[in-house]
Amino acid sequence: MSLLQLKEATIRFGGLTAVNAVSFEIQPGQLFGLIGPNGAGKTTCFNLITGVYKPTSGDILFEGQPIAGTPPNKIASRGICRTFQNIRLFKSMSVLENVVTAGFLRHKTSLLSSLLYTPAVIKETKELEAEAMQLLKAVRLDHVAHVCSADLSYGMQRRLEIARAMATQPKLLLLDEPAAGMNPQEKQDLNGMVRNIREQFGLTVLLIEHDMRFVMSLCEQIVVLDHGQEIAQGGPDEIRNDPKVIAAYLGEPA
Amino acid sequence: MKGFWPVRLGSIGLAIAAAFLIDQLSKGNDFTQRLVVLAALYVTLAVSLNLINGITGQFSMGHAAFYMVGAYTAAISTLFHPELAAKNPLLWLFGMIIFGMVTAGIAGLLVGVPSLRLRGDYLAIVTLGFGEIVRIVANNVKFDTKGGSYGFSVDVHVTAVWLAWLFAFSAIAICRNLLSTARGLTFLAVREDETASLAMGVNVTQTKVTAFVIGAALAGGAGAILAHFEGFASSNMFTMDVSFIIVTMVVLGGTGSITGAVVAAVLLFFVPEKMRDLPDMPIGGITAFFILTGLAVAALRYVSQHYHGAASRKAMIYSGVVIGSVIVAAILGAALNAIPAVKLVPLVEGAKLRLVVFAVTLIVLMLLRPQGIFGKSEFSWDWFRRLGKKQEVATS
Repeated sequence: MSLLQLKEATIRFGGLTAVNAVSFEIQPGQLFGLIGPNGAGKTTCFNLITGVYKPTSGDILFEGQPIAGTPPNKIASRGICRTFQNIRLFKSMSVLENVVTAGFLRHKTSLLSSLLYTPAVIKETKELEAEAMQLLKAVRLDHVAHVCSADLSYGMQRRLEIARAMATQPKLLLLDEPAAGMNPQEKQDLNGMVRNIREQFGLTVLLIEHDMRFVMSLCEQIVVLDHGQEIAQGGPDEIRNDPKVIAAYLGEPA
Repeated sequence: MKGFWPVRLGSIGLAIAAAFLIDQLSKGNDFTQRLVVLAALYVTLAVSLNLINGITGQFSMGHAAFYMVGAYTAAISTLFHPELAAKNPLLWLFGMIIFGMVTAGIAGLLVGVPSLRLRGDYLAIVTLGFGEIVRIVANNVKFDTKGGSYGFSVDVHVTAVWLAWLFAFSAIAICRNLLSTARGLTFLAVREDETASLAMGVNVTQTKVTAFVIGAALAGGAGAILAHFEGFASSNMFTMDVSFIIVTMVVLGGTGSITGAVVAAVLLFFVPEKMRDLPDMPIGGITAFFILTGLAVAALRYVSQHYHGAASRKAMIYSGVVIGSVIVAAILGAALNAIPAVKLVPLVEGAKLRLVVFAVTLIVLMLLRPQGIFGKSEFSWDWFRRLGKKQEVATS
């Protein structure tokens, strides 16, 4: 069974069809790429999957269950978590606190015990902190765990976003342009890091990216969107030679 | 867990000891006692509003309403069960604090659920309106001849300074406890970024409503204490001004800082009271004082924005500006007072100057430190440990 399945997912904003009958399936363990020119509907697609928007028509199945229209926080606890294209960290909080916050959705203690700060809550908080430190090690941010997250460099903030999403222990991780604004060296590091994370935590990854070399070297399966339409689907080699994809990115040959 | 109970019992013991110490120190003088009790209630109000406005980032401006709900709950309960209340006043007050917390908490829930969808100024306006609605409704509550705009007299009078402070300490402890847990971090996360909080599995609406209900309940408990201390509860004790002063306390202390809320509540409550003793002053001196305050603020702002040298040099420049302005103000004041026409103007009463000085102080503070006295930071023993140490620098 596929982990995530989009069935003719469509969303219209007034007269604009941002995503039009897009269908694809992601198998467990895959590194899946979602590409397309600016305004193609990639982030809208993410917003559909994570519950920010409800599709106008069509279905989204996660582990065989329909999730369209479920609120974002419920979807996160089902096992889908994401990063944001324009970094959205909890700025005034420390690096560690950012990750612990995301881990809280697996909490078992009650509000009352938090207010009374009972031993059970102290234990739970310590465990979440220990888990968060593990994740920070995986993205090489453990040495800045107590620094305010707004003070991190751009590349580090991107890595922290990944660690924070990982803290929800997702089955499917959505990365929205993780390599945006990175130099070639940082991109290569990121490539290794995403592979590592997948091996270490047994994740499935869906990512949006503009950098073709990055996507082609990382992803096993790719879907291409243009103007909300799905124009191609396949492995990196098929996509590279697909005339429709070349036309969408470079324009029609004269 | 090892070491949990000694620390927990120790801190509870310390809080009780501190409350009784304050009680003992304020004994003997009715006026002092009243100030000390009201200070405790304002600390509770500021800390509870800080949970809503500061920590969870929802701008509520109607906190006096919840304070009033608690006070009216206690007053009306006492009106209907006077013999029960008189039997054991202290136990009754305990019960009323809890009952007041429950009713104010329910009021918080009723207001919070529909209005917390709104953000920023819209929420501020709704809560402001709610505060007025509650006050006007209370103004018209009558049982036989009792109530109405005269309010209710609360015949069971309990003067328990220690209880007021113990309640304030509990409010501080509750907020501090919450913030030490992962759950508390989700409240901060809601303030920082709602979209990201949702994506991380935080139930944003539930978090906001929880903060609102806890904040309202704490204010309600303070209201019950007030009703039994003052011996009456009437709607004109809970006007918009009370809500505003609580908001001012939170903002001045540093929105989001519990320490700031406590310090600002004590300062804002005692400083205007102490200024009642201000001496009568000649108009020349007052003019000089205001002119130099303005100039000093401008100078300090200029220095803080343009001087980037060593911190110790900066501190010296700051103190130089302050001392210099005081000296110049004294000379200018004396000079102005020496003008014959100025001499004819009668002295200005210190008591009348009080609120002007108070307002100017607030303006000065907001100009020089817009993030509030404590910003977002809390008091911690680490401050002393970290003194003199360098700040950590982030490198990849």
